[in-house]
Amino acid sequence: MRMRRHARGGHDEDSHGIDLAPMLDFVLNLLIFFIITAVFVKESGMELNRPSAAADQVAEGGGSIPILVLEDGGVVVDGRPVDLRAVQANINRLHAVSPNKGVLVIADQDAQTGVVAAVVDQVRLGGIYNITFSTSS
Amino acid sequence: MRARKHTPESDSHGIDLAPMLDFVLNLLIFFIITTSFVKESGITVARPDADTAEHKESGNILISVRENGEVWMDRRQVDLREVRGIIERLHVERPEDTVVVVADKASKAGVVAQVMDEVRVGGIKDVALGATSTASE
Repeated sequence: MRMRRHARGGHDEDSHGIDLAPMLDFVLNLLIFFIITAVFVKESGMELNRPSAAADQVAEGGGSIPILVLEDGGVVVDGRPVDLRAVQANINRLHAVSPNKGVLVIADQDAQTGVVAAVVDQVRLGGIYNITFSTSS
Repeated sequence: MRARKHTPESDSHGIDLAPMLDFVLNLLIFFIITTSFVKESGITVARPDADTAEHKESGNILISVRENGEVWMDRRQVDLREVRGIIERLHVERPEDTVVVVADKASKAGVVAQVMDEVRVGGIKDVALGATSTASE
């Protein structure tokens, strides 16, 4: 404080320096804008692959466990119809047998997304996170 | 101004704004950095629940699929064929954005698959299926 007083030298200290008030107003406005527009909600979701048309055949042929989701909500894991709650156990077993395999979820065109999401969830609980989502007509 | 100029010790009057300004600027920078410009879809749907849903850091383009097959994004209903163009534009603007397809539980899997295809063709490969996390963390 003492130094500043010396530097400014006496009576005309107001004319020195920038008036901070307008800048402060502006910055406060910006701040309020960003506080209001800030969205702290993080979207939650499950990662899904989507086969390209060419890769579709390959994926179905070899390295993945097929799960069918039927129009009526039925679930078929690896050729056997199972209950939705049994998917996790089935995937657990298949994952233990062949740990490198991914899962191919083939849903009927008219199957409900809720069932598909539940199946994907069960598969992830079963330990396989490499899930490809496909539909059949 | 004039009134203050007449008093010799104007430094002792008023509050020193500098620390407050520092603080406000820091707040401002914090909010600018944390602001994620989420592209809301403009509609709420009944999301599926999932135990394994993950919070996605950069999932900020939302596409909603209603149970009657309507597709909503950018706060309006869009045609399925429009999705690709919009995604291409958004992808150019912010290449690190990812997409969360929020589908109603009762929506058709076929529509969801088509939307995901359009998004992929539009240039964003990172697509997730929106779900509400039910895991107790």
